[in-house]
Amino acid sequence: MLTSCSYSNIPIGPTSLNSRYTEEQPALSGNGRFLAFISNRNGSHQLLVYDLQQQEFINTPRLNRQETIVESPSLSYTGRYITYLTSDQGRPVVALYDRANQNSEILTPIYRGWVRNPSISPDGRYIVFETASRGQWDIEVLDRGPNIELDIPNGAPVNAPPGSL
Amino acid sequence: MTKKHKILIPLLTITSLLSGCTAYPRLMSYPFDPGGRSLNSLASESNPQVSGRYVVFSTDRRGSQDIYLFDTITRSLIDLPGLNSLDAIASHPSISSDGRYIVFAASRQGRSAVFLYDRETRQSRNLTANLQAEVRNPTISAEGNRIAFESTVNGQWDVLVYDRNGQPLGIRQDPR
Repeated sequence: MLTSCSYSNIPIGPTSLNSRYTEEQPALSGNGRFLAFISNRNGSHQLLVYDLQQQEFINTPRLNRQETIVESPSLSYTGRYITYLTSDQGRPVVALYDRANQNSEILTPIYRGWVRNPSISPDGRYIVFETASRGQWDIEVLDRGPNIELDIPNGAPVNAPPGSL
Repeated sequence: MTKKHKILIPLLTITSLLSGCTAYPRLMSYPFDPGGRSLNSLASESNPQVSGRYVVFSTDRRGSQDIYLFDTITRSLIDLPGLNSLDAIASHPSISSDGRYIVFAASRQGRSAVFLYDRETRQSRNLTANLQAEVRNPTISAEGNRIAFESTVNGQWDVLVYDRNGQPLGIRQDPR
């Protein structure tokens, strides 16, 4: 029970980005410092986040779980928000992990159709993803709203976000 | 009791209507155009990526798989002169948040490569010309300073990180 909660296969200490297993689906943080990707090392298909500056993996507690698969990571500006594709009771859903509170939430619970390839805006407010609701792949833009904590550089001016017209 | 209900019901209706308008997260309604002049068309749209005001994606709406750019403020497409070509299949685009740089994967004459398109010079540059390997899934940081992609140079998919000039980042990238 304990192991399933604190499940983590993240390599400790300074290490190489790649292993002798598959590394795929890279996503860079907006500032270019962090790299999220899917790795098959240590016998599990997991989402890892690598700090290109310190050259080590960073801890993301409760992001990878033993009984589910995560795919298609995407990072906001400083890597605070991580969106990814996972499944909820067999249904594909877009989820968002917040490194500030180390929790994930499902962003598309209302969505009935198939979804894939989510991508988060650098400020963390918008998520684009593909949906199959019209019988072929289309693009939807999800707005997390004006009240979220934006992931923007220190001192950046806060403009009216796109779409709020 | 009945009087209380008379007030309560309209109140509940108003609050539910109000929350219906401001409930987040919600889907944005960008125009759907069967003629192919908007974000979504009758054809397939895939691999969207959002950065700043831009959404970049690939679509086969013109009978060949090309890269398109949508501006969420003007709600219209932005022309990318010289990016798409007839003899190449372009996929998996990614854009810097200032809208200047777009990286994408393209396959031409049986060889896959990662290209960096500069919207100011309208030129594409092959970043992986010296890499004798299959490449896919490129991505650029919002600041446009780093590019990551997958390569088969070690016999399985690995992630490589380059700077914008096409030089590998000075970090340990080889598998151990």
